[in-house]
Amino acid sequence: MAEGKKEQQLIGGEIERSKAEDLLYKMVLTRTFEENALEMFALGKVHGTMHVSIGQEAIAAGAGPALKEGDYLLNTHRGHGHFLMWGGDLNLMMSEFLGKENGYCRGRGGSMHIADVESNNLGAQGIVAGNLPISVGVGLSIKIRKTKQVVLTLFGDGAANEGAFHESLNMASIWNLPVIYLCENNQYAMSMAFERAFRIEQISDRASAYGIKGLTVDGNDVIAVHQAVREAADRAREGQGSTLIEAITYRYQGHSKSDRQLYRTRDEVKKWMKKDPIPRFAKLLDIDEEGFNKIEEKAKVDIKNAVDFAENSPEPELSTIMEGIYA
Amino acid sequence: MREISYMEALREGLRQSMEKDDRVFLIGEDIGIYGGAFGVSAGLLDQFGPERIIDTPISEAGIAGACVGASVTGMRPVGEMQFSDFVVLAMEQIVMQGAKMRFMFGGKAELPFVIRLAGGSGTGAAAQHSESLENWFVHVPGLKVVMPSSPYDAKGLLLSAIEENNPVMFFEHKLLYKMKGDVPEEMYTIPIGKSKIVREGKDLTVIATSIMVPRSLEAAKILSKEGIELEVIDPRTLKPLDEEPIIKSVIKTGKALVVHEAVKTGGFGGEISAMIMESEAFDFLDAPVRRLAGLDVPIPYNRNLEYHAVPQVENIVEEARKIVQNIY
Amino acid sequence: MAKEIIMPKFGFTQEESEIMEWLHSEGDSVEKGDPIAVVSTDKISMEVEAPETGTLSGIRYQIGEIVPVTEIIAYILQPGERLPEIKGIEKLSKIESPKVKKDQILITPIAKKLADENSLDIDAIKGTGPQGKITKTDVENSLALQRNFEPGKERATPAARKIGREKQIDLSKVSGSGPKGRIQAEDMKQQRSKRIDEKSVGKTIKTSIPMIGMRRTIAQNMKHSWNDAPHMTLQINIPMDELEILREELNSAKQSTAEKISLTALITKAVAVVIRRSPIINSQYTEKEIKILDQINIGIATALEDGLIVPVVHHADKKDIKQISDEIKDLSLRSKEGKLEPIDLTNATFTISNLGMYGIDSFMAIINPPQSAILAVGKMTKFFVPAENNLPMIQKIISFTLSADHRVMDGAQAAKFLSDLKEIILDPKGLID
Repeated sequence: MAEGKKEQQLIGGEIERSKAEDLLYKMVLTRTFEENALEMFALGKVHGTMHVSIGQEAIAAGAGPALKEGDYLLNTHRGHGHFLMWGGDLNLMMSEFLGKENGYCRGRGGSMHIADVESNNLGAQGIVAGNLPISVGVGLSIKIRKTKQVVLTLFGDGAANEGAFHESLNMASIWNLPVIYLCENNQYAMSMAFERAFRIEQISDRASAYGIKGLTVDGNDVIAVHQAVREAADRAREGQGSTLIEAITYRYQGHSKSDRQLYRTRDEVKKWMKKDPIPRFAKLLDIDEEGFNKIEEKAKVDIKNAVDFAENSPEPELSTIMEGIYA
Repeated sequence: MREISYMEALREGLRQSMEKDDRVFLIGEDIGIYGGAFGVSAGLLDQFGPERIIDTPISEAGIAGACVGASVTGMRPVGEMQFSDFVVLAMEQIVMQGAKMRFMFGGKAELPFVIRLAGGSGTGAAAQHSESLENWFVHVPGLKVVMPSSPYDAKGLLLSAIEENNPVMFFEHKLLYKMKGDVPEEMYTIPIGKSKIVREGKDLTVIATSIMVPRSLEAAKILSKEGIELEVIDPRTLKPLDEEPIIKSVIKTGKALVVHEAVKTGGFGGEISAMIMESEAFDFLDAPVRRLAGLDVPIPYNRNLEYHAVPQVENIVEEARKIVQNIY
Repeated sequence: MAKEIIMPKFGFTQEESEIMEWLHSEGDSVEKGDPIAVVSTDKISMEVEAPETGTLSGIRYQIGEIVPVTEIIAYILQPGERLPEIKGIEKLSKIESPKVKKDQILITPIAKKLADENSLDIDAIKGTGPQGKITKTDVENSLALQRNFEPGKERATPAARKIGREKQIDLSKVSGSGPKGRIQAEDMKQQRSKRIDEKSVGKTIKTSIPMIGMRRTIAQNMKHSWNDAPHMTLQINIPMDELEILREELNSAKQSTAEKISLTALITKAVAVVIRRSPIINSQYTEKEIKILDQINIGIATALEDGLIVPVVHHADKKDIKQISDEIKDLSLRSKEGKLEPIDLTNATFTISNLGMYGIDSFMAIINPPQSAILAVGKMTKFFVPAENNLPMIQKIISFTLSADHRVMDGAQAAKFLSDLKEIILDPKGLID
């Protein structure tokens, strides 16, 4: 995917224009999806909590699309963007969000556990760092099967302080597993600020402790993320093992719907909003206001249609409650 | 038939599974050159190499996670918890991930992995290396829990567990590793979820697990001389439980005793007991269902204290006799 | 030294008495001669008197217990005296004690208060204190049990309950053999076969009468007699007209009923006179010998509401008609008032049982051991009988039935007695010496 056709301009020297335009649309779609989700939540149309990634869309846009078909994704609970970028169908995703039978997980998983095993999307994660040990298994599996696949393992700054982080990165390292550890450092583990939870400058510094490559990139820059992930994937496929990428970004909304955000100032949020990844990427693509408005309109229409689709989809039958536990 | 030990039966099962199916690999601490803490995997490294006999750092969550990740991507890993107690360090991966993933994903993922756990007391290993934690997993939808009590069952159930398309917690007992018994050389499977009446009797149904099965058989032999005939049932699979033979037996005898090594409170005995109460057998009960289980105590180091912390043959004899004689 | 109070012997065949009531409690001061307990012999209540003045102590038997005569039942203590150590009390206490009254149960004051507060029936509590005294813990345990097992909540296994449902057996009617009386499946099976037995003879129980006291004594005696003594019965119809004429003559001068001679008195006199001619009637059977008795003591069976007693006319053969009549009236009166003395009820050598007043024509009585015979008297009935000229004339006839112990006598001896009786009744001049 990284190599475009000759006549096409490579945006930032990294992404073909047509693909980049699609990514911009999906970034807008992600944000629209999440803003709509928040609204539906406020209107009482969905139940349960959700974790939105508004402000962090560049990482999803840069990461998944840097990989190849057949690669694996281990997502996080804040993973709507990654799910869409991995090729998720908006309608079926919305159905899952509304807990419908035709959703990706038959309404059993919801926003926090959404997965599409068929496309090797091994699901979003409800346990902080829960997917890190799993990445070892997926990596081992690839290694034993000798398939040249890679695993994109997403996690946040909070997960980097779980014990599982240590076990997993160490095991991936000693066995040279094809795992890309992509840490979305959005500055807060719920209310715990990065500065209060770490005494190091960057989380990627920890890579050296495991003998793997580590780097930190601007997480609001689609191109930077794309390049880092693509290069890490190339190394993994060549048998050079794992990489720890830290992408610096910021979460505009609270951790979840119940977050009153007492741990940070409005000014801080406003300051980060000036670095918003979506206008930034639109500018890179030379898309004017009119063009951008069209993209937004399309996203809104698509979301509305998806909501209609999902709302008109069947609820799971109660008689099927015990299904899907055992094979 | 050829007689081999419980440990050898397990090893043979592992070997035959790996020979038959390339997707099967072993992962755990010291299972390679060391041969496993109790020697179960001894010699397998030579045959299958380090790619399939994977020694890990001391990383139980990593082992369990590796099983989850590898199984969901098409492998059939067999993980080992060196001592079953260490599974506490892997609980999140087993309970939160392995057990639930298929369900959370709408039934669209398969997780064919086995976690082998060496459990039980009697070796002087004290509180952190002697526990019997099987019932924790019985409580988790998505897992299957197996507990073989003989060499024959050990091999047959292990082969089934590896062929199973669900996570299986496979509880072995350290004191049973040396137990000898008839084991066929060829591959054979014992279905998961199938109990076994190991001894027929008319006076009392004893439902025993793991090492309590041979102990109950020993007790039955003693009581038989007094004219008391125990019917001993080994569920073999704790989850899913094969209820029917237990219910039928209790209908026949009117009395039931559950014997297990794990502590009584919150133990599997409560589950069996409640199942009997809920079943048709209730109307045929002619005495309270009793549980003989480990004391609610961490396993003590002292040999004598350790001995008395869990049911022994004489305890089973005494308890069974009391039930049959309507003392309770 | 502690003065022993013993169970008195009231009659020569009496072997035991039942404690009916303690009139004083342990620790009460009593004076010599004070009644301290009521006991029941075979057929009469008796008071046991304090043999000394002092403190009543060491009661060894509770109400309802049956105590062999001469057994110590309690003690009178003087200040500073202690109860003697008693050997063999365990064995004695095992005598059945079916019914116990509350105020006589050994119970600590706190336990009693607790029981009263909770309306707990202390009859059912088994005491674990000294001498079976009920303690607070006993009451608490009992309360705990009661809370779990109210009436209708019998202890029973599920298997027993299932049989109960299917075979419609009331659990409250079944006594359990399991721990704490739990009804086992086996108990239900036994109950069922018992019930089938009952059904087959059409029995249902309305109320039950405990086999204690008089009822028990009668049952024992009658069973003993019926099983051991081969009864032969002989019946004779005797015209009573001459005896009635005699009675009218005797009573003609007498004003009050109290003074009048009763028919029973005349029959008693007649029997006493005839016995003298047939001494074998007045005898006792033993394994080794037949004792022919000298005294002729005629017992008169008398019905009570819940049994019968047999007051005795001693030396009936030596008493005249008036004496006998007066004595019978006196015994009858005192039996109604419950004032009979033991001597009034003992040592009968022959019994007359009269059910004529109930309109019974004739019946067969069971011999009252150790006697050898009993005479059953029916009602007096007027019959037309042919006179010498073959014309009908009216006669008043009573049917007399003698039951006699065939071990002691034979038919002819019994027949002779009846024949003699008929003779003297037909010509009763001999009755008034």
